[in-house]
Amino acid sequence: MDESAAGAGAGARGIDVTDGSDSGGDSRRAGFLGFVAHEVRNPLSTALWSAELLSRLPAEERAGARGERLSSMCLRSVARVRQLVEDHFLCERLDAGGISLRPEPVPLREVLEAILARPADRGEVTLDLDAGLAVAGDRTLVERALDALVAVASADRAAVHVSAREAPGGVIALVVAGQAPAPDALADPTKGSPSEARGRALALPLARRIASALGGALAATEGGYVLSLPRAEGYIARPTPAARP
Amino acid sequence: MTRPLVLVVDDDPDILDAICDILEVERYRVARARNGLEALERVEAERPAVILLDLMMPVMDGVAFAHALRERPEVSDVPIVVISADGNPARAASVGARGYLAKPFDIEALLGHVAALAGPGGEPRADA
Repeated sequence: MDESAAGAGAGARGIDVTDGSDSGGDSRRAGFLGFVAHEVRNPLSTALWSAELLSRLPAEERAGARGERLSSMCLRSVARVRQLVEDHFLCERLDAGGISLRPEPVPLREVLEAILARPADRGEVTLDLDAGLAVAGDRTLVERALDALVAVASADRAAVHVSAREAPGGVIALVVAGQAPAPDALADPTKGSPSEARGRALALPLARRIASALGGALAATEGGYVLSLPRAEGYIARPTPAARP
Repeated sequence: MTRPLVLVVDDDPDILDAICDILEVERYRVARARNGLEALERVEAERPAVILLDLMMPVMDGVAFAHALRERPEVSDVPIVVISADGNPARAASVGARGYLAKPFDIEALLGHVAALAGPGGEPRADA
């Protein structure tokens, strides 16, 4: 594990939180938008083609194996487009400063358990963090960032292990270990998770922007990602049902 | 008469499936590859009548594949149609492609390019 990535602002590699949004980054922004367009066009294509093919198939074939496969492809493609559009909208809003943050203590384990409770195409995910660990941030954004990182780390159904530790400077470093990132995966979206079948090609650009918006940082290591966020002072975890009197 | 073989090269499995479905419905034979390296293996196994080529792919991208293809005398003249989501026809011209289709393209546009370069797919199915 790259220890230098533990603190907020600590530079492991590729922590350029301004990509495409700074005044000097017009070409990078154009490149990012081109990447977004590329990623959306592929599932948009398969959604359109599968729907048109379905309409062309004879009724008996439409009800058969090919029809079923095309229907699944259409639905999967539309879901992929939706994920990409949602992620891109949030990236744009973060770049434009168009989000009013609602800072609050965000318990990491609780948020992760909520994410894992939702059905998703991923391998096993194990958690190793205390219920009392909380970061100071906007809960919705923290959840989106964690969801994105778990998704990327679980590419190809890789097993994912999430742990957290307190780091110097009032920071909590959340380590999401799983599918190893490609070199420059954070700096260059095309090296991250392009053509990702679940529509998570924008997961890393989104997680980077969220980290920055919350005063933290995102780093890539050999075995995964480190999301560093400010620790919530004085947070006391809610008692579990078993611990209640 | 042997039906024309179309090689489809794209790293997106849904794109591969969809385009192969489109071609099979029109009675073309299809071969598929997920990157340029796989495509070279397919080309060496059987010469296709036309290659539908994505450009942005891992392992070996479409540009590198096209250059490697041109260096193989026995298949250097196989026509390429670039199918790309990058919206940049100039890149297709740079690899000597005979056609360019920007995703998401119309099915008829795809079939038009393939028919022009490879001929018709085959007899209509009895059940079609």
